[in-house]
Amino acid sequence: MALRLNLYHEVHKARALKRRDPLKISIYGISAIAALFASWYFVQLVRMHATNDEYLKVKAEFEKVEPMAKAAKKKEDELAQKAATSVLIGKRIESRFYWAPLLAELTQVVPREVQITRLGGEVSASGGSDNARHCALTIDGLSAGADPRHVAEDLRTAIAERLAPHYKSVTSTFKTLEDGSEMVMLDGKQVGTATFAIVVQMATVEDKPTAAGRRKK
Amino acid sequence: MKLGKDEIQKLVLGILLLFGLVYSYFDLLLGPLVKREETARQSVNALGPEIASAKAQIEKTQQALKNSPAATLPMRQVEAMIPEGSPVAWFPTRMAEFFKKQGLDKASTRMTAETIEKELPGFRKIAWGVDLPKVEFVPFGQAIAELENEEPLLEVSALQIDASRDDVETQHAFLTVNNLVKQ
Repeated sequence: MALRLNLYHEVHKARALKRRDPLKISIYGISAIAALFASWYFVQLVRMHATNDEYLKVKAEFEKVEPMAKAAKKKEDELAQKAATSVLIGKRIESRFYWAPLLAELTQVVPREVQITRLGGEVSASGGSDNARHCALTIDGLSAGADPRHVAEDLRTAIAERLAPHYKSVTSTFKTLEDGSEMVMLDGKQVGTATFAIVVQMATVEDKPTAAGRRKK
Repeated sequence: MKLGKDEIQKLVLGILLLFGLVYSYFDLLLGPLVKREETARQSVNALGPEIASAKAQIEKTQQALKNSPAATLPMRQVEAMIPEGSPVAWFPTRMAEFFKKQGLDKASTRMTAETIEKELPGFRKIAWGVDLPKVEFVPFGQAIAELENEEPLLEVSALQIDASRDDVETQHAFLTVNNLVKQ
């Protein structure tokens, strides 16, 4: 067998050692990992920029739309307020107390034996859940006849009967009823008199058919 | 293969370098980047509904504006009915002219009270006393009917009719009326 002498074994060994230098291998590995990380970072950077661009676009749109929405909301509130006021004004107008029909009814009910000397009436402000308007009438007058008190009583009941179909809770009561001192001439005869004061109270309700029917005269 | 002491030291150093690299990468580079992206994404997601809500509001208002002429018509009509200027300047004249037209002369009107209408912003209520020294009951009733029909913003809140002792045919009437005017 031939003897072979490797005179370069020292050199070969040094080369082998250099080739499998752990630090070098580690640096290679780390470099590879760093390259991967760098690539992934770049991908993330691109994604972040895309998201950021999207955010800026959305923010710009929001900044454009938000003042318009605020102005729109303000305008809508104003419109709603105006609409509510319109409805309320309409209701106010519709729920007014109309005196003309009441005076017309009273004209119909007063007989020739009675003279009204004073008529006063007052409507109270609407209140409560039923939107009722309350009216109080005071009728002062003089009745004449064979039985003047009876004439006054007939008037009191006639007023209540006449107004009851058109108003709610009609009450007609005497505040005073006294024999009068003076005599008057009626149908060519001297007859006695009585002075009276009748208090009539009634209520009208909004949107009530009877009240609505009496609005226009 | 057996590693020498020198090689082990180098290997440990390499591993340490690797850890350092990984830590630095995640904590100093990728971490903040991802966090920023997440923040931006959350902002985008949060702004989306707000933009939609704002657009819906604008659309709703536009619709309301389209419908507003019908909804606010009574108010505009009422505003058109109220003359410009101080009510003290025009209302007494208006009442005097109205009753004169009805054949009832010498009507005098005075302001008695003024209240702000809380329920009706932009309006106030004025109470007036209208004195009619000489009226006949039937023409007076007709005048009241005309007044109530012609003046929807006016309400007679009280009336008083007194028979005259001197003239049995005529009466003295006093009306308390409330009128709605602009603020």
